Amino acid sequence: MSSLPSAFGQAFRVAAAELGMASASQLMIREIAGGAGLEAVAELRDRYGREFPVLDHAAARWLSGEGEPAIDPEPVLAALQGIERLLVVGLEAAHLDLLLPALPAVEVGFITEGRALMPEWRRVLANYTSGSDEGRVAAVGLSDFQLWAGPRAALLTFIYGGDGHVVHVSGQWLRVAGPDVRTQFRSLIGWDVVGGELHVYPRWFAEVARSTFTKVLGS
Amino acid sequence: MSRDRNNHGGPESADEALPSHPAAYSAVDAFIDPAAIERVLAPWLPNPQDRAFVVRCITDEGPVHHRGASFVLLRLLGDALAAAGGLPEGATDGAGEGEGTHAPVPLRLPPHLAEHSKGDPNYPLKMPLRPLLGLAGDDSASARAMAECLADGPPHHALANAAMLCLVDALLRRLAARAP
Repeated sequence: MSSLPSAFGQAFRVAAAELGMASASQLMIREIAGGAGLEAVAELRDRYGREFPVLDHAAARWLSGEGEPAIDPEPVLAALQGIERLLVVGLEAAHLDLLLPALPAVEVGFITEGRALMPEWRRVLANYTSGSDEGRVAAVGLSDFQLWAGPRAALLTFIYGGDGHVVHVSGQWLRVAGPDVRTQFRSLIGWDVVGGELHVYPRWFAEVARSTFTKVLGS
Repeated sequence: MSRDRNNHGGPESADEALPSHPAAYSAVDAFIDPAAIERVLAPWLPNPQDRAFVVRCITDEGPVHHRGASFVLLRLLGDALAAAGGLPEGATDGAGEGEGTHAPVPLRLPPHLAEHSKGDPNYPLKMPLRPLLGLAGDDSASARAMAECLADGPPHHALANAAMLCLVDALLRRLAARAP
């Protein structure tokens, strides 16, 4: 008999939309491992790993005894030094929860169109604003995100593993980081939230050359 | 001396001396050294992040032949300036101010967005107008038209032009100081 919640796949999609694939994977595995043990994590990987490759990778880490990877925002903060505007392409709540409070003077935008799994953006944005800085975080569309461009502006997206040559990113990044845009932003930063290569076909993601980023961090 | 186009007898024939195919990407990438251009442009771009941004646009973006050509010309101009005695005093004065003595290099934003840009709509490298004013006989309108031509087009082009103009300006200043 399965020890996984029924309709886990649907629940994971909702969580991945609101939190990001890597953040949702860690949350789900932590809960399942805590409640039902490693056998349930193994079943999770077996049943859902191929559908959700980041969940698969995270489950493999747990099963090998490595547990959750530490999240270190410091290299990203260093790469963003001098930036006045940061445009985030994609969503990883666990990582952004550490990064954005450390950038109090930076205006932050989220590209809200073109995501494979769409969250309730008002709720997501509200997580990163408080009474005194409500204007600091904004929803930004694909049609006018270049308003944010400039020598003090950076694009940040999340990388879901890869090798020395190619990395996996959301398709949304491809809509944003075209050849015209590359010369309009000072930095194009990829934050690897997986590390290493995914074990299964990277559905949900697109491959891009690692060299198309000015910095790849976290791997 | 005329060349015999039918002479296929040896490796020194004209046809064999010229490459029959464009150079491989790897052959061009092999000689492009962004760090060398960063060193050349450091006086005009003292902020390392600004410098890395501009040099990336010149050496990493755009068609490969442009990246290679811009690298070669900037390196040679840097060598020429060094051979002439290096950066003369005053060569970078006003480079951070933009208006008056210098012209901006605009980011190539879509026109309908450029006018509403949230930040600085220009690259951090600015073009000295002094050599253009010399060419234009001190006609500032003409010098500005020249600057606009140099700054137009794709960013890798415009920034390479601007960087070369900075070096040409420094070289002309150095040579003028030497003149009897």
